[in-house]
Amino acid sequence: MDFFVTTVRRLSQFCGIVAALTLAAAVLVVCQMVVLRYLLNESTVWQTEFTTYSIVGATLIGSPYVLLRRGHVNVDLLPLYLGHRARLALAFLASFLALAFCVALAYTGAELWLDAWRGGWTTDSIWRLPLWIAYAPMPLGIGLLCLQYLADILCLATGREMPFGLQPGDQP
Amino acid sequence: MSPLEIGAVIGVVTIVVLSTGVPIAFGLGLVAVGFLIIFDGWGSLGIVADTFFAGIGEFALVSIPMFVLMGAAVASSPAGKDLYEALERWLYRVPGGLIISNIGACSIFAALSGSSPATCAAIGKMGIPEMRQRGYPDGLATGAIAAGGTLGILIPPSVTMIVYGISTETSIGRLFIAGLLPGLMLTVLFMTWSLYAAWRGGYRFSLTDAGYTLRQKLVVLPRVLPFLLIIAGVLYVLYGGIATPSEAAGVGALFCVLLVVVIYGVFLRSWSPLRIWEILGDSMRESVMILMIIGASALFSYTLSSLFVTQSIAEWIAGLEVNRWVLMGMINVFLLVCGFFLPPVAVILMTAPILLPIVTSAGFDPYWFAVVFTINMEIGLITPPVGLNLYVINGIAPDVSLPTILKGALPFMLAMALGIVLLCIFPEIATWLPDVVMGPGI
Repeated sequence: MDFFVTTVRRLSQFCGIVAALTLAAAVLVVCQMVVLRYLLNESTVWQTEFTTYSIVGATLIGSPYVLLRRGHVNVDLLPLYLGHRARLALAFLASFLALAFCVALAYTGAELWLDAWRGGWTTDSIWRLPLWIAYAPMPLGIGLLCLQYLADILCLATGREMPFGLQPGDQP
Repeated sequence: MSPLEIGAVIGVVTIVVLSTGVPIAFGLGLVAVGFLIIFDGWGSLGIVADTFFAGIGEFALVSIPMFVLMGAAVASSPAGKDLYEALERWLYRVPGGLIISNIGACSIFAALSGSSPATCAAIGKMGIPEMRQRGYPDGLATGAIAAGGTLGILIPPSVTMIVYGISTETSIGRLFIAGLLPGLMLTVLFMTWSLYAAWRGGYRFSLTDAGYTLRQKLVVLPRVLPFLLIIAGVLYVLYGGIATPSEAAGVGALFCVLLVVVIYGVFLRSWSPLRIWEILGDSMRESVMILMIIGASALFSYTLSSLFVTQSIAEWIAGLEVNRWVLMGMINVFLLVCGFFLPPVAVILMTAPILLPIVTSAGFDPYWFAVVFTINMEIGLITPPVGLNLYVINGIAPDVSLPTILKGALPFMLAMALGIVLLCIFPEIATWLPDVVMGPGI
C-alpha cells in the first residue's frame, strides 16, 4: 500500500511539472503569435488552437497535483465546527462524492478520446489538429486524479492524514 | 415536477453536497451529472466529457492563467516588496501615509493581477506587519488589506470579469474598462474611511512616520517603473482594442517574468533565476483551481438549461412585474448571500447567465450590472464562511483573531455597499468610460 500511495504521489508531482511547463509553453506561443500578427502582419495558423488546448491540457493534467497540494478550493465551514470523528466521516463522504464525479469524467473522457481516435476527428481550422491529441489529457489527468483520490482515502483510513488537513484540536 | 421545483431541489442538493467540504469543482460536477442521469437517463453521460472540455476550451479563457502569471511574477518575487516600498517612500508625507499607501498599493497591484486573494497576499505580506509595528490598530491594518485586496477583481485585469464576459457573451475589453472608474472610486472610499478611522483611533501620523531622503526615493524607482509601464501597456492595448485580452495578457506575463529575472536575477543577484519555477508553480495551481470550477460550472449550467430551470426562473421573475429597483435590490441580496458561501467565479458562472437576460430586459446596462455584481462578490470575499481574503490575512497575521479582522473590515464592506448605491444613482461611473473609449453600447 505504501508503494501505491508513494507512486501515485510521485506521478501527481510529475504531472504538476508537466502542467507548469505546458503553461510556460502557452505563454511563449501567445507571444510568438502576437509578434507574427501585429509586428510582421502575417496570419497565424496553429497558435490559437495550440494555446487553447495547452491550457486545457495543463488544467486536466495539473489537477491531481493541485489535489495533492489541497489547492482545490472548498467550503470547509462544517468540517471546522465538527469533532474529530464526525470530521473523519465527513471527509470520507466528501472524498467519495468527489471520486464519483472524477470517475464519471475520466470514463466519459476516455470514451470521447476513443471516438476521436477511431473516427479520425480533427479540429475545424486549417491546422486540422487530430482531436485525440487534444482529448488525451482528459482520461490521463482525470484518471490520475481518481487514483490520487483513492490514495487520499487510503491515507485517511490509515490515519496517515488528518481529515481536511485539520488537526483534532483545530476548532474556530 | 415543474422546472421551478426541480431548480429548487437542485439548489438544496447543491448546498448540501458543497457543505460536506468537497472541492467546489467536483461537487458542482457531481450535482450536474447526478441530475442529468436522474431526469434524462444514463445515456446523458455521453455529453459530460464534451461539455466539460468545451467549457474550458476557449481562447478567451487563456487570459486567466496569463493574468494570474503576471501577478505571480511580482508577488512570488522581490518585486512585490519593492513595489510596496516605493509607494511607501513616496507617500509617507501624506497624512496617514502608510495606510493610504497600502490601499494604493492594493489598487496598483490589482492592475497587475486579476485575483483578489493574490492582491491581498502580495501587499499584506509587507503591509500588515509594517502597519502593526508602527502602531496602527490591528483591526484597521488587517481590515484595510482584506478590503483593499478585493479590488483585484474590480480593477482590470480581472479574472471574474473574464468569466462574466464568457458566460454572458459580453465584451471582455468593455467589461475591463467599465471596472476602472468604480475601482478607483472604491479606492478613494477605502482611503477616506481609513484616514478617519486612524485619526479617530488616536493615531497621530506625523510623530512616528520615518522620513526618506530624495535619494532613497529615487533609488527604488528603476525597479518599479518597468512594472508600471507594463500595466500601462497592457491597459492601452486592451482599451485600444488592439489585441485580444489573451494576447495582451500573454505578452504582459512574459514581460513581467523576464523583468523579474533580469532585474533581480541578473542585475541585483538577490534572487536565483531558478526560482522562476516557484512563479510558474504558483500560477499553475491557482489557474487549475479556477479552470476546473469553470469546467464543472459548464456542466452545471448545461444541466440547468436542459431541464429548463434557467428559462423558467427567468420567466417566473419576469412574471412578478416588480419595480426594476426592487428587482435589482432582490438580485443584490441574492448575490450577497451566494457570495457568502461560494467563491466569485462559481457564483458568476452559475447565476450570471440566468440573471443577465432578466436584468437587461428590466432596462439595466449589462456592463453596469457586471460592476455591481463584482462589488457584491468583493463583499463576499471578506465575509465568513467562505471569505478567501480572510484566510489569506489569517495566514499572514495568525495572532489577529477573526472577529478583530471582521470588525476592521466591516466599515469597508459598508463603503462597498455605498459604492453600489452610488452606482445606482450615477450609473455613468461604470458606463461613461466604455462609451467614450469604445463608442456607445447596445
